[in-house]
Amino acid sequence: MFNQGFLGTAAPFIADLILLLEIAMGVGLLAGAWLAHKKRFRQHAWCQSGVVLLNLAVITLVMLPSFHARALPKIPVRLGKAYYALATAHGILGIIAEIAALYILMSAGTHLLPEKARIIRYKSWMRGTLALWWVALLLGITTYARWYAPHFF
Amino acid sequence: MHRNWCVAGLAALLAVGTGLLAAGQKGFAASAQQKPATAEVKIDNFSFSPNELTIPAGTTVTWTNRDDIPHTVVSSDDPKAFKSKVMDTDEKFSFTFSKPGTYPYFCSVHPKMVGKVVVQ
Repeated sequence: MFNQGFLGTAAPFIADLILLLEIAMGVGLLAGAWLAHKKRFRQHAWCQSGVVLLNLAVITLVMLPSFHARALPKIPVRLGKAYYALATAHGILGIIAEIAALYILMSAGTHLLPEKARIIRYKSWMRGTLALWWVALLLGITTYARWYAPHFF
Repeated sequence: MHRNWCVAGLAALLAVGTGLLAAGQKGFAASAQQKPATAEVKIDNFSFSPNELTIPAGTTVTWTNRDDIPHTVVSSDDPKAFKSKVMDTDEKFSFTFSKPGTYPYFCSVHPKMVGKVVVQ
């Protein structure tokens, strides 16, 4: 009824689905990093590109509209509350991680960027972005818990 | 003669006083009838309280969010009879139910939170 979730919290169906999808994407990126470690660079490229593009779609279609409707009208006035602070921190770090990932994707996989704008130290960029991605993901899980399962707090 | 005038004056004063008193009572009764009916629903701990509310037509229901996280009040009917914005702690939303019927509603942020207003 009313698109109720399936994880036993107060979340709607879409929030539960996105939570699991984001965790799967985070694990997918770790698997992609392992592929690079094993020198399987083609599979690594496909894996990371798929995750980054899928996440771009999720951000655009689900996360930004949700943030715009539920959190943005109360910012910055209520930023002192965990409900808004967590969502804002997750949003900012998540967008930085996504932009960094797209930059890596365009540098490594396309010729869209001019030579001067391309990355030289790929490993550092990729590792840094992966770490940032996971921090954003953990903040996202915490945001979910605060929004839909506040009894954990 | 003088005594008669006094009695007549007192009678007139009594009549005017009684009339004013009656008019005042009527006015008070009328104002009591005109005062719009209201009802309150509290939102706390992920639930609407009372969960089901029965009211006469014309009553204005006010929902107040006492929870520490935001909630909404959205009619389950299609088209929606009422829909609040996201209400933060201590924010309110009011709606006047003018037609009899049953009005189920829910919180769009937490769809497990449901309630019902029965208008008689």
